[in-house]
Amino acid sequence: MASGATLASKSTLPGMGGAKAASPEAAIRGRAVTDTDPGRHLLDVRGVTIQYKTQHHLITATYRVSFNVLQGDRFVVVGPSGCGKSTLLKAVGGYLAPTEGEIRLKGELVTKPGPDRIMVFQEFDQLLPWKTVFENVAFPLKTTGTLQGKAADERAMHYIEKVNLTDFAHSYPHTLSGGMKQRVAIARGMAMEPDILLMDEPFAALDALTRTRMQDELLGLWDEIRFTVLFVTHSIPEAIKLGSRILLLSPHPGQVKAEINSVPRGQENSDEAAALGREIHEMLFADQIEEAPNASGG
Amino acid sequence: MLQAVERPNIYCEMLGPDQFGIIEKPLTLVEQIYNQVWLRKITILVVLAVAWEIYGRWLDNPLLVPPFSDAMRALITDVANGAIPQRALSSIQVLLVGFASGTVLAGLLTVFAISSRIGTDFLDTMTAMFNPLPAIALLPLALIWFGLGAGSLVFVLIHSVMWAVSLNMLAGFRGVSTTARMVGRNYNLTGLRFVARILIPAAFPSILAGLKIGWAFAWRTLIAAELVFGVSSGQGGLGWYIFESKNQLNIPEVFAGLLTIILIGLAVENVVFRFIETRTVQRWGMQT
Repeated sequence: MASGATLASKSTLPGMGGAKAASPEAAIRGRAVTDTDPGRHLLDVRGVTIQYKTQHHLITATYRVSFNVLQGDRFVVVGPSGCGKSTLLKAVGGYLAPTEGEIRLKGELVTKPGPDRIMVFQEFDQLLPWKTVFENVAFPLKTTGTLQGKAADERAMHYIEKVNLTDFAHSYPHTLSGGMKQRVAIARGMAMEPDILLMDEPFAALDALTRTRMQDELLGLWDEIRFTVLFVTHSIPEAIKLGSRILLLSPHPGQVKAEINSVPRGQENSDEAAALGREIHEMLFADQIEEAPNASGG
Repeated sequence: MLQAVERPNIYCEMLGPDQFGIIEKPLTLVEQIYNQVWLRKITILVVLAVAWEIYGRWLDNPLLVPPFSDAMRALITDVANGAIPQRALSSIQVLLVGFASGTVLAGLLTVFAISSRIGTDFLDTMTAMFNPLPAIALLPLALIWFGLGAGSLVFVLIHSVMWAVSLNMLAGFRGVSTTARMVGRNYNLTGLRFVARILIPAAFPSILAGLKIGWAFAWRTLIAAELVFGVSSGQGGLGWYIFESKNQLNIPEVFAGLLTIILIGLAVENVVFRFIETRTVQRWGMQT
């Protein structure tokens, strides 16, 4: 079901990217504004409040968060620990139901996990240890019936090449380094050609050098394929570097602080980027002192 | 007094690959031999056998402890004349039927247990009640219910295998990481497909451990049952062979029977389970 739609939408991508750039520059502050033309939205998150229960508490993770992701966006959600950004991503993934509000993908209500939203996790154990790199990438294609037999193998191999892991296609995950594992996970996600790729701090567990390289590689892949990605991070430089659009969440519970455009591609070291970084930092940590005792969890 | 010393940048020249001395050196023959697991294990066995032989000769009372050589002679004779293979085969047949049914039932029970809360409670309660209950204690009842025959033996075998295996399976399923579960759900895997493609492989180390324990339990139960009601299983298995030999004061044959059980146990552990392990959990890096 999802595969045909996905392929069709891919071809319209560059045009949509242009449309996004044309949207009014007005930096939207405070509660995000609903766009007037919801037909253009790929992902529509409207007034989403997420609460969950632990043994002793009812915790509000996010409060009335709204934002829209357009086709081809590199949409980054950034916020300190405990702002509910991972929880929000899990809700988009369909693993959690919002207590209030709704999440729509291409106009359809998100109610459960599905292969039209592939998630890339931070944890290395997202790769199935009993499958080789190649089998891991081909697994969702075959198991969801997106592609069968040779077509699935070819698609899997194609994306393994894209992440430069051809030599390791028949290795088992435990023989790979952390960065390579994350590349496999990204290849596996992209091979499905989902409507949107959900990334939950995929580079957070990597060392700084590998992390930078992975960021560059991800951008390189985006230049080539122009997929839509919703990326969660707590790192402001990462958000500025990777994002085309940045959503700032306040901590505990997560509320939208701002939704702003990032600097153009390749200017993450410019003065403009530094100014943006300072601005984001100020916005996020303005009320740091009073929030500090609560800043736990993810 | 601290003084700022200006230090230059230092750049070094690197050696080419041909300028190194030894980078890789083969191990000596002794080290290579010592690295062989099977060789180390065989050495242990040889030492034990020699100790037995010496003790048996020193004691010089074949009715209590015949020397290792006597036991081996009895073993070889009875293997050659087909007595032991026949008994072993009859034991193994019953054993496999009981072990397989016990494992399948354990699997069904565990899948039921992870798919509903009442199932979990059911399995918890049942294992708490029946796991400590020795299977052999059910044999008298089984004989009344199923008569003198393989049926009773299979019943007690199932009882001895099922609880141990399902406990391990449940522990394994519970230990599957949230990320792996979410990955599976991301690809629309639900129900039995989810169990088969995510849970079972991910929990395989625990499942394998459970199968090993179940296998050992099954052997013990079977031999014990045969020692008590051995003739019930048709021609009688290894347990009955041991019992018979003891009655006829053929003590070397008693040891031959015990050795056969040990050898089968070693073979299953070192060949069958080892094979499964190297092909699965070791290759997947789930076990070092």
